[in-house]
Amino acid sequence: MDRGTAAADETLIRLRHVSRTYQRGVDEVHALEDCSLEVQRGRFVAFMGPSGSGKSTLLNLVSGIDRPTTGEIIVAGQRLDELDEDELARWRARHVGLIFQFFNLVPVLSARENVALPLLLARLSRSERTERAEIALRVVGLAHRADHSPRTLSGGEQQRVAIARAIVTDPDLVVADEPTGDLDARNAELTLGLLRSMKDDFGKTIVMVTHDPRALRFVDQTFHLDKGLLLEGEAARRAHEALELAAGGSVGAGRAPVAAATGGDGRP
Amino acid sequence: MTWSRFVLANLRRSPLRTLLTGGAIALAVLLVCLLLTMPAGLNVFLDQLANDTRISVVNEAGLVYPMPYAYARKVRALEGVSDVCAMVWFGGAFEDDGRVTFPNFAVEADRVGTVFSDYEIDPRGLADFVKYRDGAIVGRQTMRKYGWKVGDRVTLKSTVWPVDLDARIVAEIPNDRAPIVWVNRIYLDEAMKAAGRGGLGFAGILWVRVTDAKQVNPVMLRIDELTRNSEAETTTQTERSFFSSFFGSLEGFVQILLVVTALVALCIVFIAANTASMAVRERVAEIATLKAMGFPRGVIFASLLAETVLLSSVAGIVGIALASMLTGMLRAAAGWSPQLGPLGGFLVTRGVVAQSVALSLVIGVVAGLAPALGAARRPVAEALREVV
Repeated sequence: MDRGTAAADETLIRLRHVSRTYQRGVDEVHALEDCSLEVQRGRFVAFMGPSGSGKSTLLNLVSGIDRPTTGEIIVAGQRLDELDEDELARWRARHVGLIFQFFNLVPVLSARENVALPLLLARLSRSERTERAEIALRVVGLAHRADHSPRTLSGGEQQRVAIARAIVTDPDLVVADEPTGDLDARNAELTLGLLRSMKDDFGKTIVMVTHDPRALRFVDQTFHLDKGLLLEGEAARRAHEALELAAGGSVGAGRAPVAAATGGDGRP
Repeated sequence: MTWSRFVLANLRRSPLRTLLTGGAIALAVLLVCLLLTMPAGLNVFLDQLANDTRISVVNEAGLVYPMPYAYARKVRALEGVSDVCAMVWFGGAFEDDGRVTFPNFAVEADRVGTVFSDYEIDPRGLADFVKYRDGAIVGRQTMRKYGWKVGDRVTLKSTVWPVDLDARIVAEIPNDRAPIVWVNRIYLDEAMKAAGRGGLGFAGILWVRVTDAKQVNPVMLRIDELTRNSEAETTTQTERSFFSSFFGSLEGFVQILLVVTALVALCIVFIAANTASMAVRERVAEIATLKAMGFPRGVIFASLLAETVLLSSVAGIVGIALASMLTGMLRAAAGWSPQLGPLGGFLVTRGVVAQSVALSLVIGVVAGLAPALGAARRPVAEALREVV
């Protein structure tokens, strides 16, 4: 579903007939089947659906963590399905920032060092790395906690450090896998608001996987998945309405209205 | 944030585990280092004892069999020979204990000055040794052991010949590790005659001083050629070989110890590898996160391997330092306890340090290789599925 923000003029993510099949013993698991979509640069989109619907698989494919069994994936002008593991790693380091449900911070490093970690791969001096990490921490409101170990931070603070780590390299794309899944309601709202501000204030493209109906109030566009299929038309609309109901009917307040169900080609 | 800070932080993750693993590696390196110093220590000891330009000549049948005293004169005439000193084992025991507690020989008094010029014996003492038939030259180690000094008279009761010699110490061999005692061959010869056993027409060993080190092999060939097909064929060897043959059994023992220690080091490798595997298993989520963030496989591999190599290197340096301290203490102890013999000469040489550092690095690399490779090769999506 598309909230219909300003007309998008550049496609950042394009998937064409993408499928991902896993071999589990003698069985083939079709995690994602014939998925086509587009995401414009500067949008905040959510992949939603029940467990096992294929949304995390889709997120991994979009972020270059996994490769499709068939189909074509183009992100930031790069054909990801043609890259090998090391090329994908280099591409991710330049173009993607990652946020995880359980924060995945390194416990033996301080908040500042955790944020600076991705910068080890960049050709920057130590002082430049430190400076950029401190800027990122300021953006998420945690500059005063820079020297703290993750163990001494609350869940919400740890997720904000993770967000700072995701944006410190100034990536084209920020992907978040259930970023509110391990947070209480207040911190979940704070985190979603922070992600929204990344989009609004810095023009970041954010792709998020979530179960959280609250997310509908913050995202521009939702893609609904079920049993490995990207829902379209009436099925997508029903899934969206069910989520809106769960969110208490406040979705879209103060924002542009939902435009239309996402088509198979990803266009509203 | 730097790579070194990242590696060090990971090593400090579990201080007790790091300490115990490092301790095990340090202990293994200490053991190997100490054992490696033994052959080096023997070499140092032999270097102190032996001279490049001195050759021993003994009866081919064995050291206990004599050879004609005339050989000394014949060998002295050979090309390349500077001088020859004939010696006979006296086997003298001091006082009444009846045991030979230091090596003692009857020697040609007028020859020791040239054949053993490197002993740096006081020339006046050497002159007295020639002048007084009852003179004796005593090594510093034995002088200290019995509290003797130049001018003292000592009686040596031979355990080989039916004579006692009352000798006057005329000089000291100024070497802390020299236990040897020399008496005058003529004195023994006269004592033997007086005892009705005839004179000393034989020699137990000839020490030959050659004119320069290049002459050692030609002179050895000439001597063996000289005595070939005679009633007492001889065998010649350098002084170094002569003394090292006394330590041959010790070297064999050292070889066995080295094998045992190598097995201990191998056990330590397995322990360290197991520890490294545990550390990697505990960090599956972190490693998967790093890979997802774009850390290439080579970087993951290198950073994990760097941890074990850094740990084993530091532990190795600690082991080497401990070995240096221990050998230093042994050297210090040998100063007042000459009985330590070659132990006092054991040195952690540059070669031993290099070998021990190499061993530390090998332990680190071998222990870290499999866990680091496994973590690096694991596909990122598969690793993330398990932890996210």
